[in-house]
Amino acid sequence: MSAAHSPTSLTKVVVHLRATGDAPILKQSKFKIAGTDKFAKVIDFLRRQLHRETLFVYVNSAFSPNPDELIIDLHTNFGFDGKLVVNYACSMAWG
Amino acid sequence: MNQKESVRNIIPWDGALSSSDFFCAASAFSEKWKRFNPSAPPWLWVPSPKHHLLSSHKEEGYLSLEDMCFIKSSEDQESCRSQTWKEESSISQEEEAVDTATLVQSCFDEVNHYDFHIVYSPSYRVPVLYFRSYHSDGQTLPFDEIEKDLPDYCAKIRLESKWTFITHEEHPYLNRPWYKLHPCGTSEWMKLLFHGDTSLNKNGFVIEHYLVSWFSVIGQVFDLKIPLAMLETVSC
Repeated sequence: MSAAHSPTSLTKVVVHLRATGDAPILKQSKFKIAGTDKFAKVIDFLRRQLHRETLFVYVNSAFSPNPDELIIDLHTNFGFDGKLVVNYACSMAWG
Repeated sequence: MNQKESVRNIIPWDGALSSSDFFCAASAFSEKWKRFNPSAPPWLWVPSPKHHLLSSHKEEGYLSLEDMCFIKSSEDQESCRSQTWKEESSISQEEEAVDTATLVQSCFDEVNHYDFHIVYSPSYRVPVLYFRSYHSDGQTLPFDEIEKDLPDYCAKIRLESKWTFITHEEHPYLNRPWYKLHPCGTSEWMKLLFHGDTSLNKNGFVIEHYLVSWFSVIGQVFDLKIPLAMLETVSC
């Protein structure tokens, strides 16, 4: 799937998944994902990897992206240093 | 930098804000919303009458967005239509016309109106979302009907998440029962969103963006999207 000349529609974006709080750290935390995919794909991936239905997922500019947002849009506006950093935390204990 | 700001920079931020900060945050939020989301109903500040003998902040009040319409999904409308089809095949011509009209009309009635209020909670020191829903004829929606308007993943989040759940209680200003998203987890995840980074609190950055960030999370319960342009920050 790695063509030498990718048309814009196949642009892949580097996503770096960062654990915060007491969330478990993934063995592999950097991924390439198609720009045309929705953020929901990242959320679902995290849910499956961590075996949790509820995660708090957010980006560095202090907001939680809507699952319908396109990865490429998030990367263009909020990416840094060629990648989009996505933070995740697990539901905290009731207190 | 005034004294208040310098103190804030030393003490780690707890994810919450004061009542007067809420007023500033609300002004910034409603202004950005109007600028970047002009097709949506606006957020308006509703000043509240003073309850107390002692003079409270003159900026006491809440943000209100009224009459956001949630139209039933096309799937529901299609099931309405398929019912029409079945009816037509089994009844006489005269009755057919009447029944078809009735069924079609019930499809168009499926617009649910929502009122949202963002109210400051002095005990939790965070904003709280209050909401209610009603049909076009004014009849209040029961909760199981509201649930149908929420995206599927939200039902899961509400059942399992310890951070957002819905309660039914009296609106703090209107003395009527409204639904609210309970605020007990809010300061925790607000702290996460801003990394608890006190350096972000310079020049009121956190205050200005507080409600935008807050709404990016809360709005997902109702699938209310914030335009990306609204989320862009000037610094970092």
